[in-house]
Amino acid sequence: MNVSTPAIEIQGLTYAYGSAEAVRDLSLSVKPGRCYGLFGRNGAGKTTTMKCLLNLLRPQSGSVSVFGLDPSKHEVAVKSRLAYVPDQVAFYPWMTIRETLDYLASFRERWNGTTERELLDRFGLNPQQRTGSLSKGQRTQVALISAVCPETDLLVLDEPTSGLDPIVRREFIETVIGAYQEGSPGNRTIFVSTHLITEFEGLIDEFTIVDRGHAVLTLDSDQARERYQKIRARFSQPIPDIDLSSALRVKRNGRELEVIADGAASEIEQRLRQHRPEALSTEALTLEEIFVATLKHEPDSQSLSAVSAH
Amino acid sequence: MIFQINYKSGKPIYLQLVDQIKAAAASGALRSGEALPSIRPLAEDLRVNRNTIAKAYSELENLGVIETSPGRGCFLKENHAALRKEVRHEMLMQEIDQAIVQAHHLQVPREEFLALVQERLEALEDRRRANDEHQEGELL
Repeated sequence: MNVSTPAIEIQGLTYAYGSAEAVRDLSLSVKPGRCYGLFGRNGAGKTTTMKCLLNLLRPQSGSVSVFGLDPSKHEVAVKSRLAYVPDQVAFYPWMTIRETLDYLASFRERWNGTTERELLDRFGLNPQQRTGSLSKGQRTQVALISAVCPETDLLVLDEPTSGLDPIVRREFIETVIGAYQEGSPGNRTIFVSTHLITEFEGLIDEFTIVDRGHAVLTLDSDQARERYQKIRARFSQPIPDIDLSSALRVKRNGRELEVIADGAASEIEQRLRQHRPEALSTEALTLEEIFVATLKHEPDSQSLSAVSAH
Repeated sequence: MIFQINYKSGKPIYLQLVDQIKAAAASGALRSGEALPSIRPLAEDLRVNRNTIAKAYSELENLGVIETSPGRGCFLKENHAALRKEVRHEMLMQEIDQAIVQAHHLQVPREEFLALVQERLEALEDRRRANDEHQEGELL
């Protein structure tokens, strides 16, 4: 196994349901050991992309590969190296949790029984309960246990925390960090799609924002927070004429100005300072704010590139 | 020790951890020979990637602030100013320059700025003393 082989490589992926294009020319690459976020609104093409990785759908054009293998040609090899938690978890309702886990373990080469016991205990699950009577949160917890115990090199999570209460969400993420990354953190790769970005903020190393099936932004998280900054300024007089054409977005409210900078924050700050603002502050955008700023399509009249006094 | 991650500071997360441990070491909140939290519980608690914590710790090790004892974890080093004096000065100068630029823009004159530096140094020494006394109290 070549060390530099990406865990996931997607090139020019396109998939349409009839005439409705779900994914259009999407490309991304996930290095082993990284935690990669796929961010998008509902219907942006996240689930379709994941299904292509799992060979539940075949790309209509472009290609996907997992650890260098084509999932449609090497389905068994690919599936043995990854675990998947879907957005809608379904089990055989007549089976107990114990039977379900045993059934799922029978498909796996490895199964960490210690981790299984720890997690059943942590989530307070009764192994004798039938899965048909579990809540949505509990079903997700069972799915997570079945994804963590095989200790695969890749964990694929599709909107894992949507519809769950805050405590279950928190436990879910702690489990991914703690139990899944245990053993060899450097080799455990996570690929997670979500629109609940805030709770994954600390986990995500790198991300791609998809909009209508197309990648609009791919960045390292630390670099993103350095690049996207929000600058607020308040002036004693009406806002002077300042060239802010390099800003991503400009909003003003009376004597106050809010500028979203995409990479030129210090230059914009300098410009604002020359006009002696009463107050000036700068903060980084969180990943969620970057997501919103990237996808919000405002009418031209509001996204003024230069602001002038009235 | 308790860490605080601020995603709005624009500073990489591992560097925030590095700076907080350096500050704790300077103030005596973290004492020589004391253990740092191990990676897994800290990562779970802060809900950050384990690799981020590992990166912070290896950076601190490179800087000579902490040392790793195999199987036992990371500890604050006894005498952790391992870098050459010139290098240490150079690193500090960058920070001072930034503060000077900031003081200029906030129209804080030279005398006031220097007085503030004095005040902060004393505040840090007070904290150190308080931490030391507390430690002695514990030992008695």
